[in-house]
Amino acid sequence: MKRPGLFNEELLYECYQCARCTGSCPAAFAVDGFNPRNILLTYLRLGIEAVITDEKLWCCTTCHVCEDRCPQLIDVADLLCSLMNEAAMQGHIPEKVRASAEMILRTGRALLVSRRVDSIREKLGLKPLPEVPMEEVEGILDQTGMAVLIG
Amino acid sequence: MRYAFFPGCMMPVKYPGHESATRIIAEMLGIELVDMPFSCCSAPTLLRLVHYESWLALAARNLALAEQEGLNILTVCNGCANTLKEAALVLRNDPALKKKVNEVLKPWGKEFTGEIEVKHLLDVLRDDVGVEAIRSKTEKTFSFRIGIHYGCHLFRPPRIMYPDRLSPSKHFLPTQMDEILDATGMNPVQYNRRLLCCGSGLGTKVDLDAANQITREKLSHMADKDVQAICVGCPSCFEQFDRGQVILNRKENCDYKMPVFYITQLLGLAFGVPEEKLGFDQHRTKVTALLDGGGR
Repeated sequence: MKRPGLFNEELLYECYQCARCTGSCPAAFAVDGFNPRNILLTYLRLGIEAVITDEKLWCCTTCHVCEDRCPQLIDVADLLCSLMNEAAMQGHIPEKVRASAEMILRTGRALLVSRRVDSIREKLGLKPLPEVPMEEVEGILDQTGMAVLIG
Repeated sequence: MRYAFFPGCMMPVKYPGHESATRIIAEMLGIELVDMPFSCCSAPTLLRLVHYESWLALAARNLALAEQEGLNILTVCNGCANTLKEAALVLRNDPALKKKVNEVLKPWGKEFTGEIEVKHLLDVLRDDVGVEAIRSKTEKTFSFRIGIHYGCHLFRPPRIMYPDRLSPSKHFLPTQMDEILDATGMNPVQYNRRLLCCGSGLGTKVDLDAANQITREKLSHMADKDVQAICVGCPSCFEQFDRGQVILNRKENCDYKMPVFYITQLLGLAFGVPEEKLGFDQHRTKVTALLDGGGR
C-alpha cells in the first residue's frame, strides 16, 4: 500500500529543492500556501505530523504534472497521496471529501441518483441506472477499513 | 466490438445527455455496450486519497465483474480510466497484494485475475473503430475553432496509463481527440497550456473558487487563440469548464462564452444525430448561439 512508511523514503532525499514541481503545479498557482516542494522538505525535516494536519495538503488536484517534470524522478503526487491517506487515518479529512466518501459508502456511487435524474434519463430514452449491490460494496469497504474511517 | 460499459457516476447522473450521445455514437460505429452493476470506480481524486486499500478493493471488484463476462471495459471518464488502469497494474505487479484483495472479494464470488483490458472511449474510437470509419459516417462539417482539453487522468502518469506507448523520455502526449475531430473535418486549434489541469480535483475536495482560477487560466489561453468551443473526453473536466465559465462570469466579471462539448456530442452533430438526443439542455454555458450562428 502507498501509506507512508511503505513509501520509498530514500527517494525523497534525492530532491534538491529545485521547485519545478511547484512551478508546474496548478494548485500551487491557485492556492496561496500550497507548495509541494515545501511539503516534501517539511516532511523530511519535521516528520509527518507537521504536514498532515494542514488541510491545504488536500488541494492537490492529482494531475501528476509534478511527477512528469521532476528531474529527480520523484513521484511527488504519490507522496501527497500517501500523506493524505495518513491524514485521513488520523481523522484529518476535509468536509467535502468526507461527504463524498460517505456517499460512496451509503449508495455505491459518488453522486446521488435522485428522481429528477431518473426522469431526465427517461426523457432521453435511457434506462434507469442499474442498482449497485450495496450489501457487497458495504461488505468490501467494511473489510478493508473504510467503513470505520468514514462511518 | 463488445465492451463492458463503465459509465462512472458523473455522466449518468449529471450529464445523461452525454451518455445518450455516447450510446447513439457507439451503435452507429458498431460498438456494443454491455451494462453491468458497477459501483463508483472509485475516483482517483477521492477514495484513493482517503483510503488506498479500499479504493483498490472497490476497483478490483469492478474489474472482476467485467472479467466474469470476459469483456474489456470501456470507460467514458478520465477518472474511471485512471483508477481502473492503475488498480489493474498495481494488482498484476504485486501478487501478495492481489491475494489480499482477492480475499476481500472472495465472499462475494469474485476474483481479480488481470485478464481484461481497460480502454478509454477515445482509444476505442481511434484504434478499434478507426478514423476512417468516423470519416465515412460524417455528414456535416463544422468550421468553429475547437480547443481540445484532454484532461490529466487520461494520460498521467504515463507509466500507468500508457506503459506500452511511452516516448524514449518516458512521456506520452495524447493525440486521439485531435485525430478523431480531424477525421470529421472539424478544426481543433493549438493553445498554450493545452495539456494542463482543468482544476476539478481541487474544487471537488476543498475550494471551488480556487479551482476556478485554474480553469480561468486555461480559458484565457483558449480565448487568446479565439477558441469557439471546448471539447473534452471527461465529464468532470466538462463540468469544470461548463460551470466554471458561468461562475467566473458572475463573480469576476469575465465574459467567457465557449460552449463545452463531450466528444460524442460533437460526433453526434457531425453524424447528423438530432440535437434533442444530445442533451444540450443540461449545459450551463449554452450552445445555441454557436450552433445557430454560422458554426454549421
